[in-house]
Amino acid sequence: MSMTAATGSNHNGSKDLVIDAHGIVNEFGSHRVHDELDFQLERGKIRALVGGSGTGKTVLLHTLIMLRQANAGSLKLFGVDTGSADDAQRQSLRERIGVLFQGGALFTSLTVLENVLLPIKEHGHFDPHWLTDLGMSKILLAGLPADSAHKLPMELSGGMVKRAALARALALDPELLVLDEPTSGLDPIGAAAFDELVRTLSDSLGLTVLQATHDLDSIWRGVDEVAFLGRKKVLAVGTAAELAARDEPELQAYFRGARSQAYWLASQQAKPEKPPTAPSSSSAETT
Amino acid sequence: MTTAAETIIPATATPQVRWLHDQHMGVQQNAVLLLSGDWTIRSLHHVPKVDTPVKEGVKSRIVLRSEMTAFDGSAALVLARWIRQWRAAGLTVDLSEFPSRETGLLTLLDERLVDSAPSPIHKPSLLARLGEVAVDQWHEAKSFLSFLGELVWRGFPLLLAFWRIRWRAVLAEIEAAGVRALGIVGLLSFMIGMVMAYQGGATLENYGANVLIVNLVGIITLREMGPLLAAIIVAGRTGSSYTAQLGTMRITEEIDALRAIGVPPFEILIFPKVLALALTLPLLSVFADLMGLLGGAVVANYGYGVSFSVFFQRIPEVVSLTTLWLGLIKAPVFAIVIALIGCMQGLRVRGSAAEVGRATTVSVVQAIFMVIVIDAAFSVLYNLMGY
Repeated sequence: MSMTAATGSNHNGSKDLVIDAHGIVNEFGSHRVHDELDFQLERGKIRALVGGSGTGKTVLLHTLIMLRQANAGSLKLFGVDTGSADDAQRQSLRERIGVLFQGGALFTSLTVLENVLLPIKEHGHFDPHWLTDLGMSKILLAGLPADSAHKLPMELSGGMVKRAALARALALDPELLVLDEPTSGLDPIGAAAFDELVRTLSDSLGLTVLQATHDLDSIWRGVDEVAFLGRKKVLAVGTAAELAARDEPELQAYFRGARSQAYWLASQQAKPEKPPTAPSSSSAETT
Repeated sequence: MTTAAETIIPATATPQVRWLHDQHMGVQQNAVLLLSGDWTIRSLHHVPKVDTPVKEGVKSRIVLRSEMTAFDGSAALVLARWIRQWRAAGLTVDLSEFPSRETGLLTLLDERLVDSAPSPIHKPSLLARLGEVAVDQWHEAKSFLSFLGELVWRGFPLLLAFWRIRWRAVLAEIEAAGVRALGIVGLLSFMIGMVMAYQGGATLENYGANVLIVNLVGIITLREMGPLLAAIIVAGRTGSSYTAQLGTMRITEEIDALRAIGVPPFEILIFPKVLALALTLPLLSVFADLMGLLGGAVVANYGYGVSFSVFFQRIPEVVSLTTLWLGLIKAPVFAIVIALIGCMQGLRVRGSAAEVGRATTVSVVQAIFMVIVIDAAFSVLYNLMGY
């Protein structure tokens, strides 16, 4: 985003990688969830992380944002090796990542505004006079009405909880936004609106977005590219249509199964003049 | 390659603002404001104050230009506020020379920004709060009574149809509330018995009436201390756990799930707890009585020369059986009140995790308060009855 100019130039060549993970191994006891998994995410992209239940999407997200220490492998965030970073450095890396947890994880005893202000008060150095305005701006950017600021999480609907959680994730103006199933539990209209909101914010704030999702609408229309988890690795990266065209049985089942059929057919028809909502850039670097 | 530390915290250039005087704009004169440096949430406190341009003799139009190296949502807020002020002061703001992403962000913010945050509900006056507390207490009392009514209304038929009682649940509650409390109840009663014997013995010794320690410890323990101590420990130990359990079950919607499945929560959760505690607390009281007497006997024996055999021989002589009963009758009443308050507070939890903690505190305080009030009421009652 904003830091592009500052940090973008001094990394290898043209690719500015926000996340660069190599050989990630995650094990629970003897059960290996990820085996020598590689994951790269370029700045400015909106990427979906998909895969069947139990393929370790959430585990991978937690690994990539340093909530979980991988059993093996190296992880670079914003070009910094997290393995050799000290606590203060890891903390300042965390401040550059905004996270929306699966259930929202809003602090139930705080109002929406207090939830948003918590990270700002904790890490920002501010004129208190600005604080409320700043918190409100995040709430409004997340698409919540102003009068929801003083509501408690229990008073919000499911869709509003997601937006409030998004507002808190945006609190410190992160460069990378990580969303764990942001549209689960939302009605189709709410989910589409949320996808659009993420797109708008990504464009205007220059955010890089990584979201774990099951939402077919998001996968086919809402994101730039899709990474598919399977066989304990990232099996493929590309647009949904590209992944659907591949031969691996897992990909075929996922992208051309009964529920994906309609999207697949639509993308086939739309092929000549490229799907209008999918931005152009992703096909080039997946080859 | 830069070092890690430099890369993690990108060297921030201080945000700066500079007025340029633009000559070539022709007919209308413009003030050009050049922004440079890093405009981010981390450098916002360095953003300089910009004097209202009207004062500086600036004409009707402000052109924004950027040489910024970074610009994020929080910085956009600062700028959006400035732009609003300028517009309110009758100036036009020209963003045509501003970079497009940044302009987009400003527009997005401007669309959504409200002029002032809605103020939180203002704090009520002292009088209003007093009234609120009074009304709350009144509701609290009413809901306790209606809960008691529900217990009687639904509990008695259940007692008659005893095969419908969940005995397994009752036994589990008896184990948790009774058997596991034996240690702490026994130890504390023993110690209180010792303390009473010490304090009483010191005075009685002056009169050579050492043997009256038996009367003192016997009557106080059986009539008051044993049942009261057991009830207070149970209120703190078991009443609180009832509240926490039911409160958490409410938050996780388990109680709604029970209803939906067609299992009345009263039958499976509340009634077994009340019944179990009503059976357990009298037994715990007997145990507390016993340990209290034992504590007294130990001190009497080693401190005041009243041997164990004399102590236990005299007890039936100086303490009537009625005294024991007067103490034990109170126990089931305490038990029902403690269990009811625990369950009621738990079921009233709404929403948040902090609420469970609050309800647990209220439950313990209320239960102990009620136990002591009821104990006092019993004393008055016994007095009137001539015991």
